[in-house]
Amino acid sequence: MLIQLHDIKRYYKVGSEVVHALDGVTLTIAKGEWTSIIGQSGSGKSTLMNVLGCLDTPTAGRYVLNDKDVSGMSDNELADIRNQEIGFIFQTFQLLPRETAQANVELPLVYRGLRAKERHQRAKDALEQVGLGNRAHHKPNELSGGQRQRVAIARALVTEPSLLLADEPTGNLDSSTGEEIIRLFEQLHQAGHTLLLVTHEPSIAARCPRAVRLMDGKVVSDGPGAQVALESRAERARAAAAAAAAP
Amino acid sequence: MNPRVELVEGSRIALGSLRANRLRTGLTVAAVGIGVATLLAIVAIIQGLNASFARQLASLGTSTLNIARMPQISMGPTWWMYRNRKQLTVAHMQAIVEQSRYATLVVPELNEESKDVSSRDQVASGVDVVGTLGDYQRVGGYEVTEGRYITDADSDNERFVIVLGSQVAEALFPDRSPVGQTVRIDNRPYRVVGVLARKGQLLGQSLDLVAFVPFKSFLSVYGKKDFQIDVGSDDPKDLDKLEDEVTGILRRVRNVPPDKPDDFSIFRAEQLADTYQSLTGALYGVAVAVGVITLIVGGIGIMNIMLVSVRERTREIGIRRALGARRRTIVLQFLLEASAVSALGGVIGTAVGLCMAKLVAMLTSLTAAVQPLTVAAGVGFAALVGLIFGIWPAARAAQLDPVEALRHE
Repeated sequence: MLIQLHDIKRYYKVGSEVVHALDGVTLTIAKGEWTSIIGQSGSGKSTLMNVLGCLDTPTAGRYVLNDKDVSGMSDNELADIRNQEIGFIFQTFQLLPRETAQANVELPLVYRGLRAKERHQRAKDALEQVGLGNRAHHKPNELSGGQRQRVAIARALVTEPSLLLADEPTGNLDSSTGEEIIRLFEQLHQAGHTLLLVTHEPSIAARCPRAVRLMDGKVVSDGPGAQVALESRAERARAAAAAAAAP
Repeated sequence: MNPRVELVEGSRIALGSLRANRLRTGLTVAAVGIGVATLLAIVAIIQGLNASFARQLASLGTSTLNIARMPQISMGPTWWMYRNRKQLTVAHMQAIVEQSRYATLVVPELNEESKDVSSRDQVASGVDVVGTLGDYQRVGGYEVTEGRYITDADSDNERFVIVLGSQVAEALFPDRSPVGQTVRIDNRPYRVVGVLARKGQLLGQSLDLVAFVPFKSFLSVYGKKDFQIDVGSDDPKDLDKLEDEVTGILRRVRNVPPDKPDDFSIFRAEQLADTYQSLTGALYGVAVAVGVITLIVGGIGIMNIMLVSVRERTREIGIRRALGARRRTIVLQFLLEASAVSALGGVIGTAVGLCMAKLVAMLTSLTAAVQPLTVAAGVGFAALVGLIFGIWPAARAAQLDPVEALRHE
C-alpha cells in the first residue's frame, strides 16, 4: 500500500470552538491507483489533501506514506518528504510569476540539491512530457491557463514522486481545457502514476476508477468513481431541496 | 540539501528580487550607504586629526620635562589654588644641575607672550618671546635653517641678538634674508642671528610665531616674572626616574614639608596627549555614535523593506515550502537578500564616505587619514547590519504555515 491512513483526526480551534475538519479518516490507497476525493466545501477534503501532502500534520492518527510513518515527523523531514514523494498540482497553478516555465519546473530539483545541468535536462524532459517543450522559456503570464497547469504538472512530475496530488486541477479552467488536463491525467494513470484528485465535481469523480466521498470530516462512501459520483449528485440535490424548503 | 546549490540558488533569488524592485532596492541601498558614508567620513577625519596631532606632538620633543610654578594644563577654576606658590629661581635650577644624575639638559626659560616684533617697515604681532640658553634648541626640537641659534656666550655677554621663528621671519622680511637685520621689541633693537625651520601648528596654535633671545639679555629687560626650567635626559625611558628625582630635589631646596603637596608643576608632552585624548575622546564618541545611529536607521529601513518583501512573497514562500524548501533555506534566501542590499550600500557608502573625507580635507585644514582596516570595517559593519536587521523578517518568512501561505493572495 502506498498510503495508509488510520483514524486520522485534524481539529482546529476557531475562537473558543473546536472544528473537527477530519474526524477519524481511515483510508488505504494502492500504488498505481487513480482516486478522487469528493465532497462539498467544508467536508474536510482540503484538510485531507493537506495532510496527505504533508503540508499539515494530523492532530491524531497514523499516516504511513510509502512505508514511512510521517505522522510524527519534524518540519525538516516533512519538507524532504514533500520534495521526494509528492508532486503537487494546485487549482491556482502556484507558479512563480517571475520565473520561466523551465525555472519553475526545476524548482523542486533545486531543493533536492541537484546541479544545474541535471536540473535543466530533467525539466526539459518533463516539459516535453506534458507537451510544452517549445514553451520552456516563457513566463507564466505569457502562457494560457491550460499551459500553466501543464507547467505545474511538469513540475510535479519532474521529481518522479510516488504520489501526484491534484487539488481541483480544473477549477480555474474552461471545460474544454479542463478536459485536456483530465486526459493528461488518464495518460499519467496509464503510465503507472498514483494519482489523487480532490474535487467537488461529481462529473470529474465519475472519470476516476475510484472515488472517496467525504462529509463532515468522515468517509461516507468509497467505491467506483461513477457510483460515488451518483451518490454525490443525489446528496447535492437533497441539500438544494432542503435549502429551498427552509423559510 | 546541497549547501552549494542552496547558496547559489539563494543568491540568484535574492538578486532577482532586488532587480525586480529597483527603486525600492535603490532607496534602501541609499539609506545604508548614507549611514556607512557618514560613519566612515567621521572616522577618517578623527584618524586624520589623531595622526596630525601625533606628528605635532612628536615635533614638540618628548624627552623633556617643563617645570613651572603653575600647571600648564589645568581643568576648571583651579588657578587660585596655586597663587601662593613661590617663584622658581636660578638657584633652584642650579640645584638640579648639581644634584641630578639623570638630567643631561637643564635650561631656563622665560616667556613674554603676545609681543610685537617689528622690522623697519613690517610688524609681526602675537609673538611669543622666549629668553633662554643654547640648549633650548634641543628641548624644543628646533632646526636652524639660516644663521645660528643663540648661545650661552650670547647670554653671558648680554648680547641683544635674536633667533626668529619661520612665521616671524617671513612676516618681517618677506623679500630678503633676515640674518644681520635688526628687529625691535618694545623699542629695543635686536640683531637677527638665525631663522628656524617651520614646525607647523599644535592644536591650532602656530609653533612658528616665536622668537628666542639670550637668557640674561631677557632678564635685564623684563625681569624674571615667570621662570621655568626645562630638564631633559638622553634616554626617554629615564623620564619617570628623572621626574621623581627632580621632584625630590626641588622639594628639598624649596623646603616643602613632607605632608604638603608639591608647590611647583612638572609638565610632560605626554600629558598634552592625555589631555587631548580626554578632551576629544568624548567628542569622538558622540561623532561615532551619530554615525552608528545613522547606520542603524538604515538597518531599520532594511528591516522594513524585508518585512514588505516577505509579505509580498508569502505565496512564493508557500510554493517553495510545498516543493520541499526547508525553513533554513527560506531564512537563507531572505538573509542573502538583506545582506546583499546592505553590502551594496556598504560599498557605495564607503566610496562616498572616502570622497567626503577627502573633500573635507581639501576644504578645511583638517586632514583625513583612512586606514584600509577602516574600509573593511565599514563594509563589514554594513553587511552585519543587514544580517541583524534581516534576521527577524527572514525568521517570520520561515515560520509561515505553508497551507496559509499558499492561500495568501
